[in-house]
Amino acid sequence: MNPTVIIGLGNPLMRDEGIGIRLVERIRDDSRLPAGVEALDLGTGGLTVLHAIEGRSRAIFVDCAMMDEEPGTMRRFTPDQVRTRRVGLRLSLHEGDLLSILEMAREMDACPDEVVIFGIQPKVVEQGEGLSPELEERMGEYVGRVCGCVGV
Amino acid sequence: MAKKIDINVQHITRVEGHGNIRVKATDGTIEKVEWQVPEAPRFFEAMVRGRSYDDIQTIVSRICGICSVTHSLAAIKAVENAIGVTVSDQADKLRMLCHYGEQIESHVLHVGYLVAPDLLGQQSVVPLVESHPDVVKTIIRAHKAGNKWMEVIGGRMTHPVTIKVGGLTKAPTEQELRDLKKMLEEVVPDLKTIAEVVLSLADKLPAFERETEYIALKEPGHYTFYHGEIGSSDVDATTPVQNFESVANEYVSPQSTAKWCKWHRDSYAVGALARYNLNAEHLLPLATEVAKSFGLEKGCCNPYMNNVAQVIECVQVVEHGLQLIDELLTAGVKEETVKVEPQAGEGAGCVEAPRGILFHRYAFDKKGMCESANICIPTGQNHANIQKDFESLVPQVIDKEQDEIRLLMEMLVRAYDPCISCSTHYLDVEFV
Repeated sequence: MNPTVIIGLGNPLMRDEGIGIRLVERIRDDSRLPAGVEALDLGTGGLTVLHAIEGRSRAIFVDCAMMDEEPGTMRRFTPDQVRTRRVGLRLSLHEGDLLSILEMAREMDACPDEVVIFGIQPKVVEQGEGLSPELEERMGEYVGRVCGCVGV
Repeated sequence: MAKKIDINVQHITRVEGHGNIRVKATDGTIEKVEWQVPEAPRFFEAMVRGRSYDDIQTIVSRICGICSVTHSLAAIKAVENAIGVTVSDQADKLRMLCHYGEQIESHVLHVGYLVAPDLLGQQSVVPLVESHPDVVKTIIRAHKAGNKWMEVIGGRMTHPVTIKVGGLTKAPTEQELRDLKKMLEEVVPDLKTIAEVVLSLADKLPAFERETEYIALKEPGHYTFYHGEIGSSDVDATTPVQNFESVANEYVSPQSTAKWCKWHRDSYAVGALARYNLNAEHLLPLATEVAKSFGLEKGCCNPYMNNVAQVIECVQVVEHGLQLIDELLTAGVKEETVKVEPQAGEGAGCVEAPRGILFHRYAFDKKGMCESANICIPTGQNHANIQKDFESLVPQVIDKEQDEIRLLMEMLVRAYDPCISCSTHYLDVEFV
């Protein structure tokens, strides 16, 4: 098992909310991805995130993120640098807020030492397929930044 | 002052799907007790009409994310029954193996994440991470093993891709089976730990009993999830799967978008406890030992014990899974190519979902295009029984505090491990 894992989260049926999934699909085929590093599609996440990060020393997440930025902006941050504004109702296992799950993993000593999150500001989050042009045209740049982060 | 009980749980938590609990009582006189299912219909039985026999499995696996393998297998068996296809012994065993992966994944998820909080006095599994971190880690490991198990045989964890009419698109390699065997052997201690934890909390399971009919697959000499005929605790004779409509007897209830079912009584129960009550003597040795530690008797009619039966079944499927892997490795795994020629026909298929017996029926024209479908879901078969349990339970506990009554009722629903969005049914309506 490679110590580094890239995990894409999102729902491709909700337009830009699926950016994380579309990104890992491209990353998998990209020559800049170091050999042996997996890029996983974990859909809408939830507790399966715990399974994927267990035993790793480094986890890189890519996901749609509301950051009050211009649509298409990609920002790299760590969990400690942000606080989730989303308060879950805890009604459903499908409601897996990434930051809460990472918190859970930390409580159980099952979290990688290094966690990096690439958030991409969406333009459109609504039912439908396909990314907005503002995101689609920057896919090459996003792939480059994520692969570059792995290579370091 | 009159003691009023007014319980209105809108969308009970920690179950799959949407269900409501409604109780109204004044001074011990019960005015209303209802288990309501407001879940929207899913339209799958309409969606598959006009689709090829080859597409059915892919489409109906989407009925559910937790029991997608089960729906795939019930569909495949029904399609193969309809168009006259038989499969090899290897394919049969691989399908059973994949099915077992789903049993353990679903049971562990349910008992560990959805039921355990009630037994440990918490609202969700999240606070358990702080109070019982090792237990949560064990549950996560066992859950992960179930997911991996399905991935090895089915091609991925949810909505399997290798299951097709006539066999599988790809068999796992012998090395993959050996790795799977190792993983299963390693999960046994985790299952024992989970059993011990549940046993230590068993006194938190309410001591409520109500006699009812139990229905499950029955196969001579086996604790079956896959082969057999329809068995009932009320009669010795089994019923062929082809006649499942005569067992389910679905009818519409005004308080539910899912139909209700009945057979020899006004409701019946399916699921792990039903399977246990019909087949406990066929459990393998380790599973039998776990059952003994709980003192679960065959014929138990406490619905809360369904979750104990689920824990026992986790051990059973791993034990039998290891046997199946040995049989496959001894025979040697071969790639099989299957040629299927569609023909007109109608057929039924049945397997046990983690939460109970599941029936699919399809009819095809001579080109193999689907003309009709009928899917009868285990949770749908349980809804009437939940209602009857409520009607029996609530008078017994009506003098307790409202919150306590509510919790007992929520725990009862959770005990059934309902998959409510699976259970809502397309209503075929003709306007007059």
